[in-house]
Amino acid sequence: MSNSSQAINSPESISRISALRLVVGVIGLLIGLFATMGLLTTGHAAFNTSSNLVWGLPVAAYVFFVLTSTGLTFVAALAMVFGMKDFYPIAKRCIWAAVATLAIGFISLGLEIGNPLRMLWVIPTNMAVTSPMWWMGLFYLTYAVLLVWKFLLVNKGDWSSSQSKVIGIASFVAVIFAHATLGSVFGMMAMRPFWFGGMMPVYFLVTAALSGLAFIMLFINLDYGIDQKNMSAGTRHAMSKQLPTIFAIVLGLVIVFTLARTAAGLWTNVAEFKVPMQATVTSLWFHYELWVGMVLPFLMMLSARRSEAKVQVIAGALVISALFIGRYEYVIGGQLVPMFKGAWFDDLIVYTPSMTEIGVVVLAVSLGILLYAFGDKKLNLSDAPTSD
Amino acid sequence: MAKWGMVIDLEKCTGCQACSTACQMENNRLPGENYQDVLYYTEGKQPTPSLKWFPRPCMHCENPSCMHVCPTKATFKTEDGVVLIDWNKCIGCKYCMIACPYGVRFYTDEKPLIEPNIKEVFKAEGGMQWSPPYKGPQQDNSHGVGIQPHGVVSKCTFCYHKISKAPPETADLSNDDPALREFVPACVRTCAPTARYFGDLDNPDSQVNRLISDKHGARLLEHTGNKPQVYYLSGGVVPGFTRPDKS
Repeated sequence: MSNSSQAINSPESISRISALRLVVGVIGLLIGLFATMGLLTTGHAAFNTSSNLVWGLPVAAYVFFVLTSTGLTFVAALAMVFGMKDFYPIAKRCIWAAVATLAIGFISLGLEIGNPLRMLWVIPTNMAVTSPMWWMGLFYLTYAVLLVWKFLLVNKGDWSSSQSKVIGIASFVAVIFAHATLGSVFGMMAMRPFWFGGMMPVYFLVTAALSGLAFIMLFINLDYGIDQKNMSAGTRHAMSKQLPTIFAIVLGLVIVFTLARTAAGLWTNVAEFKVPMQATVTSLWFHYELWVGMVLPFLMMLSARRSEAKVQVIAGALVISALFIGRYEYVIGGQLVPMFKGAWFDDLIVYTPSMTEIGVVVLAVSLGILLYAFGDKKLNLSDAPTSD
Repeated sequence: MAKWGMVIDLEKCTGCQACSTACQMENNRLPGENYQDVLYYTEGKQPTPSLKWFPRPCMHCENPSCMHVCPTKATFKTEDGVVLIDWNKCIGCKYCMIACPYGVRFYTDEKPLIEPNIKEVFKAEGGMQWSPPYKGPQQDNSHGVGIQPHGVVSKCTFCYHKISKAPPETADLSNDDPALREFVPACVRTCAPTARYFGDLDNPDSQVNRLISDKHGARLLEHTGNKPQVYYLSGGVVPGFTRPDKS
């Protein structure tokens, strides 16, 4: 049987935030739909991508969304695979949020690909096993099926049957493979030194874990009205004791990764790695990402106030923004140097997302917010098993 | 079967871009999406600057990274060594464009280089992107020949619609033999200083192989391991095509 947590103190803070969430979601959806109308009229001419810079904001957003979905599954797995009981109260929220972010990731990608519907038959029938992208598609499809299956089981209150346990472990393993393969999609490109690296899958997995943790920090606190008194004892314990520690460790790792990669790029002889990295570090976005978006939250997590809901909300939001910027810099950075164009393109490619591309991302984010809000209202996301 | 390859003699090439124009006419390409392109590089300062140029078709690599990364096997290599795109299978993910070290692929659904968009003027019937009034007769979507449909990637086909009809066991397709002229790729056909040669790399007697061995034919970006089938003759030294550092 399930034990639903009840608001102990004022539910007004909760309902105020959930009303705000609905408003933000609906307005964002309308703006996103309006901005993406260009896709229906002029097709992909409404994007600012070109034959030289082919993967733009929608692809960076896709990477960010599936990264987050991966991380949320990691957090849910702390309870469901590794048996950390204190995380059970937030596990169902994590799984639903993972479903929502996976869905919007594929919406973002689907609006970017030339012939998305063709994928349904042409990918299974051609078995392109040399392609990292083929494997990524296979693993993400497997993960999607297993994740939804796990949610359906958990939604019925089935947390600990052998089927539920196996599906939970399987979805965790599947998402590791899926996200690592996404890292390989970029990391195996030896002709693009900015992206290349055998360890890219590891980098992607660590940033995924960070994203999931940041989302939990932000959205769980928002869901409970930025007031830990509204949480059940178990949830409060997970959020105030263990989560800040795990978050700080993973954030520290990502800071090290970022600094290491940046240093490797700045002091290399390989122009294709150095020049985009120099362009990155001279941009204000990078310094916001590093100092405000990663170092500041790290310091916040070392302080004595790390268990406070307000502090966690700020830290989570900052890290999420830093990760989005980081994914954008990575995807775009690898395409800034023109591939063999000579004097036709004698400088770095200039790319700014068009209104339609921004609209795709706004649309996807709003759909994610609304999907999550739907789950929060109708699917009893505070469910947790009573005993184990 | 042949293994078609190309040799481009940089000491004869004048950078006139007739090959680019011929390709543009043959394949109905628009500015900015030309399969065959002549690239220019400038280095140095006055009084000793240097201007280098070379024609760059698709390299039709032996080990094409574009083919390896395609998730639908839309990009494939024919038995006669030509790398083509099956537009019926291409989903437009553009991974091949990411993976090509030579930048030879085009996704033409985006903004045109020159406005107004002439594709809007000559709108298409039958799912193609546009209907140029001077369109050639060839259209073979399963080999990437002709006007491309929406949402797919396109690139140089070595004029597959021509070379595939060449008699078997042909060693070279050159303008010298009147009987073979109709099979010669457009860029090779047009080249005024005869800087381009096209022939069978698997035939040790072919002129392309003779040129490669006698004049030290070199390939570009060897370190990528793609093994292009387009060789450049430059008197033994491949010009260093590094982008000058701008500080």
